[in-house]
Amino acid sequence: MLRSLFRPLTDRRAERMLGATAVSVVLVIVAMIVFIAIEAWPSFQHNGLSWFGSGKDVDAELGAMVNAGADPSGDAYQLRAWPLLYATALTTVLAVGLGVFIAVLASIFIVELAPPRVRSIVVPVVRLLAAVPSVVYGLIGILVLVPFVNDHLINEGQRESVSYVITLNGPGLLVSVVLLTLMITPIMISIVVDALTAVPRGWREGALALGVTRWRAVMSVSVRAIRPAIVAAAVLASARALGEAIMLSMVSGSKGFSPQPWDGLIFLFEPLRPLAATIAEQSEGIAAPALKSSIYAMALVLLVSSLFLSIGGSLIKRRLRLGTAR
Amino acid sequence: MAEFPPPVRRISSEQAPNVVDPATRQEIPEPIARALAPSYGPERLRIDEVSIHYAGSARPAVNRVTLPVRQGEVLALIGPSGCGKTTLLRSLNRLVELTPGATRDGRILLDGDDIDQLEITRLRRRVSMIFQQPNPFPMSIFDNVAYAIREQAMRRPGKAVLQPRVEKALRRAGLWDEVADDLGRPALRLSGGQQQRLCIARALAVEPDVLLMDEPCSALDPISTGVVEELIHELRQNLAIVIVTHNLAQARRVGDHVAFMYLGDLVEYAPTEELFTNPRADRTRDYVQGAFG
Repeated sequence: MLRSLFRPLTDRRAERMLGATAVSVVLVIVAMIVFIAIEAWPSFQHNGLSWFGSGKDVDAELGAMVNAGADPSGDAYQLRAWPLLYATALTTVLAVGLGVFIAVLASIFIVELAPPRVRSIVVPVVRLLAAVPSVVYGLIGILVLVPFVNDHLINEGQRESVSYVITLNGPGLLVSVVLLTLMITPIMISIVVDALTAVPRGWREGALALGVTRWRAVMSVSVRAIRPAIVAAAVLASARALGEAIMLSMVSGSKGFSPQPWDGLIFLFEPLRPLAATIAEQSEGIAAPALKSSIYAMALVLLVSSLFLSIGGSLIKRRLRLGTAR
Repeated sequence: MAEFPPPVRRISSEQAPNVVDPATRQEIPEPIARALAPSYGPERLRIDEVSIHYAGSARPAVNRVTLPVRQGEVLALIGPSGCGKTTLLRSLNRLVELTPGATRDGRILLDGDDIDQLEITRLRRRVSMIFQQPNPFPMSIFDNVAYAIREQAMRRPGKAVLQPRVEKALRRAGLWDEVADDLGRPALRLSGGQQQRLCIARALAVEPDVLLMDEPCSALDPISTGVVEELIHELRQNLAIVIVTHNLAQARRVGDHVAFMYLGDLVEYAPTEELFTNPRADRTRDYVQGAFG
């Protein structure tokens, strides 16, 4: 019996084993979605589509769920999760947008302009940065960025102007987006650098030989050619940003509030709390059935949006690739 | 563009191309004034005592080569691998500068102007290049041909401006009839020979004066090769063409003049038939007869 384990696998058995592994991965994912959906159902059942809308103070609603105890009435399930959804989308979109911009420019520098010596140092460092645990970024945020924003960027006038709704004391949108960008950009740089390096030299030389400047050759041929990789990088980064909980719960101000762009500069300092951070923070109150169901509902929303994200990403990638017939 | 072709400025160091036997380093006595007689058009490009060194190699890749390139002719550069013919070609539109550590001595004159004094983008529009491996960009056929026109325009030109120029370039490259029905097709779906002709059309779209071709047929099948060679014959009416090839038969078919290079030296430069039937240097004879390669 034991000896048979050490015999070389026949192709047929190897195929079956690999097939079984692949199928079980899919099964686990499906089971997870089903389980979460079942657990989340009461929350959606009581709120309907207004679950996604805005309304009262989310934090107050979540508090009420804990207080409702083990046998909550239907009212206790009330949740208007818009501020959390909005915070998730806002931080993700801003950080990924900023990150794509930085990653493309940085990659062009690394691949096209940097001398080989610089490149051989920068690329491994970037890969290392991509592996830094997010809680470390959170710590830097709390210890360095938050006090800096509080002391040097927010003035008393701004603090007072919104004091009847929220306190501005450092943590908020600005610090969250900066750290999130810092966290997701290295992985995007890695992907884009790899793609740019793989662009056939002939394309670039061909463009240069047609009397195009180096900058235009890179932008109009190389960057154009790697658009699928840029999309892939953005999707991966969005997934990381969507799911980032600990770091954001440390620096976001942890308040169920929707920052208002029309508040001007204050917008950047306003606190918020994305879905993932909410789940991380509220999970200790999970004994209360209403809260438990709400948290599972949030998890389901996160799961489904990252699913859509990767499906959407691969659709876009396919369209871009069709244009190149590769 | 008042006068076409523009007048040729006389060059101070007007001298015959060097004809050196690389083995003995002696000049081969017979002057090749015959080859210099302007049997074709006026001189468009003059390669004047050009040497190219790569960092880390003791020997220059190209050693004091002097050659004329005339309007309306095809100059074929032949020689065994590593003889510097591609390096020389790439120096004519300063593409060799992309290689780290490459340095060039000597002058290259385009219509009498030192190419180092010309703006590099302008130079490369006038001296365009076709590569060994067809390299159409990953976009549609139309966008490929329109690429350089768009890039050199200050404002993005409309389709109405582009369409006739794209069609003209595709017609000159002999590709129009094959692709006219669907210019929006991705260029990378074309066959290898079509891709190479698309690259030629792309280069012709900005109406260059000189066309450099770096073994343009080595990645193509015999039929496509024949089509491209035919094309070279037609194109030279309005252009000066420099073609690098290691295919002697091709050099003989398409070249008006042939320059034989060996280990960086220009060994012999002569009208094609003369070089193949009655070479002056022993090494040339050995090479064209296939004794080494």
